Amino acid sequence: MSLSEVKENREALVSEVKGDTRFMSRITSIGLTPGCRIRVVKNDKNRPMLVYSRDTMIALNRKECKGITVEEVTA
Amino acid sequence: MSTGATIALLGQPNSGKSTLFNALTGLRQHVGNWPGKTVEKKEGSFSYGGKEYRVADLPGSYSLSANSDEEVITRDFIASGEADVVCILADSSQLQRSLFMLADYAGINVPCFLLLNMADVAEDQGKKIDAKAIEEKLGIPVVPFSATDIKSYDSFYKTLEKALSKNSKINVSDLATQYESIKGYQDICELIPENAIEGYSPMWLAVKVLEKDEVVIAKLKNTLDAYTFSRIEEAAVNTSGAVATGGCKFRWIDELLGETASAKDNTVKLSGLDRIYINKFWGKAAVILTVLLGLIASFIPALPLMGVGEAVLALKAPVMNGLSSIGCPEFIILIIGDVIIQSFSYIFKMLGFVFGVTLVFGLLEEVGVMARISYVFDNTMGKLGLQGKSVMPFLVSFGCTMGGAAGARVIDNWGQKVLTIALAWAVPCGAAWATIPMLAAIFFGPGAVGVIVAILLTMLVHMWITAKVFGGQLVKKEDRYGMIMELPPYHKPKWGALFRYVLGRTKETFVRVTKVILLVCGIFWLLSYSPSGNGGILYSIGVAIEPVTKFFGLPWQLFLSYIASAVGKEGAVGVISALYSGGSYGTAFTQAMSGGADTSNLSSLLLANVTKPEALAFIFAMTFNMPCVVALAATFQETHSAKWTARIVIYYTVVSLILAFIAYHIGMLIW
Repeated sequence: MSLSEVKENREALVSEVKGDTRFMSRITSIGLTPGCRIRVVKNDKNRPMLVYSRDTMIALNRKECKGITVEEVTA
Repeated sequence: MSTGATIALLGQPNSGKSTLFNALTGLRQHVGNWPGKTVEKKEGSFSYGGKEYRVADLPGSYSLSANSDEEVITRDFIASGEADVVCILADSSQLQRSLFMLADYAGINVPCFLLLNMADVAEDQGKKIDAKAIEEKLGIPVVPFSATDIKSYDSFYKTLEKALSKNSKINVSDLATQYESIKGYQDICELIPENAIEGYSPMWLAVKVLEKDEVVIAKLKNTLDAYTFSRIEEAAVNTSGAVATGGCKFRWIDELLGETASAKDNTVKLSGLDRIYINKFWGKAAVILTVLLGLIASFIPALPLMGVGEAVLALKAPVMNGLSSIGCPEFIILIIGDVIIQSFSYIFKMLGFVFGVTLVFGLLEEVGVMARISYVFDNTMGKLGLQGKSVMPFLVSFGCTMGGAAGARVIDNWGQKVLTIALAWAVPCGAAWATIPMLAAIFFGPGAVGVIVAILLTMLVHMWITAKVFGGQLVKKEDRYGMIMELPPYHKPKWGALFRYVLGRTKETFVRVTKVILLVCGIFWLLSYSPSGNGGILYSIGVAIEPVTKFFGLPWQLFLSYIASAVGKEGAVGVISALYSGGSYGTAFTQAMSGGADTSNLSSLLLANVTKPEALAFIFAMTFNMPCVVALAATFQETHSAKWTARIVIYYTVVSLILAFIAYHIGMLIW
């Protein structure tokens, strides 16, 4: 599923990251790489998403999140 | 004092790089541009152990890829060998993620050392970091650091000297092993000879080729023979890019950190403040309230300097009287009084504002509030091609455009910064807001409310159109990407470093804007001056071209007042009043600018001489004209570009006349 479908306060594992070269490089350098575990903190429409990963709170533009595929972790 | 080494500071945003830079250099810093580029260059110096060290604060970015000018400049500067040693900063409280910069650096052949910043925060969070173990594995000096702790600086200097004397470089063998698992890596690496591009190892270059780094690929194409290059291209086909190399970098970091890095807890607690800022409903209101409170707060540190400005102005009359009593020629007296003293009064008032706004904005940035503002307004400002932060200069511009321009320095992309300032000019400032209701009430009575609403709507349309006009050139399409940004934890401010930074910027602003303001005030004064006290070049031109300005709804008196409003809006009404009561332009102008004009019988004077459509035209022309000389100087100071400052001035002059034309003709239809 796409990252933007994950509900608030759920955790997921990144399975795939897709996009142009620039996006891939930016998303990697902030630490969102395949295999990394993230928690969705905020998922409101018309706002960037907020996710927590590698001890860091990250704001992500919603459109760009479409390139991030995740598997939800059942707690 | 002997010359020591040059140090470059490298680190991701929020790694505490600027704080360290300010703490090290204090007032001994200089902000300019990288040669031929629009990226800000911050340099400074400090002395330690009898040696003078140069420090370069490299632009903050998350990696060393070719995503932006900032990143390319950063790595080229390092590889050029201009820096003798690179200090790489990482945030100890988010060590795993923030070591990415170190991993991306590995393979550049310049000595370096690692600074584990915010060691105190990590300790409070119960994170134990074994700096010695990391140092052993990396082969470079590693120093835990906390900017608030004075002892930290001592170990910083010692580590710096150690890195310099040992010429320490990162041990990359484990990282290379990681990369070898990527398809194509080994082939490419073997095809690239040592020193293919000065300063970079074949490993580093091979990884960038895999990441499809256009700048590196183009350079390799230029240096290697066609056959080798085509084989590299062949080997790079269908490789998995930055995701694979990024994975390697993080695996290497995990190995480096060992047990300490094992992710324990992924739960997050939002602080009370974040609950409000991030809230769907209250977020925007909370941000606007924060900025407004900040604006009010910035007046407090500004007041002393503004008082100096007033005091300088109070000197004007006694100095001019004194000079005339000793028989000084009138022309000289006028230049000293109306140009030099007047300009310095402006300059000190401006410095007060720059000081206050820089302090408050710097504080918001440092404690982490600025990132929340970016987040909340990302969508809205993104439509104009700007960052969420741009909302702050806009709000400040309702008070003072110069403050808005000075506040735009928190925007780290040059194009977006210039565009923000260009749009902030459209926001009517405090002086305009003092004039608009007064004039509107004289002519339209209760209809003044309608005029104010019309001004606000015009402002929004103006900003939107201006964003279209300048946006294409300033913010390129490929630079308009969505937000990928860290929301840093809230930090306690480092007051000492912050004050040194603010003082440094204020000093630099003083040096730079003094010339601009003296020049522009001087030109306006010369154009208004006439030896007989009546006439002057501007006056003659104004009267001569009245048939043209009438077309825009501006008789010569209003047109000259409009011109005066480009110097300062405070004076515009005074000039009208003086001109309609038969005063000379030159005197009216300087008197109005120093606040001495008589506006007591303004209402009857205006109603007797000006029609309603003309009044409406003037209100629009004055409001959307260039804000003032000081805003012009601040714009030049922040953009570092005379070309763009001139463009913005010309654009606003033209647009304000067009708006006057439209307002006048709409007014003619109504009345």
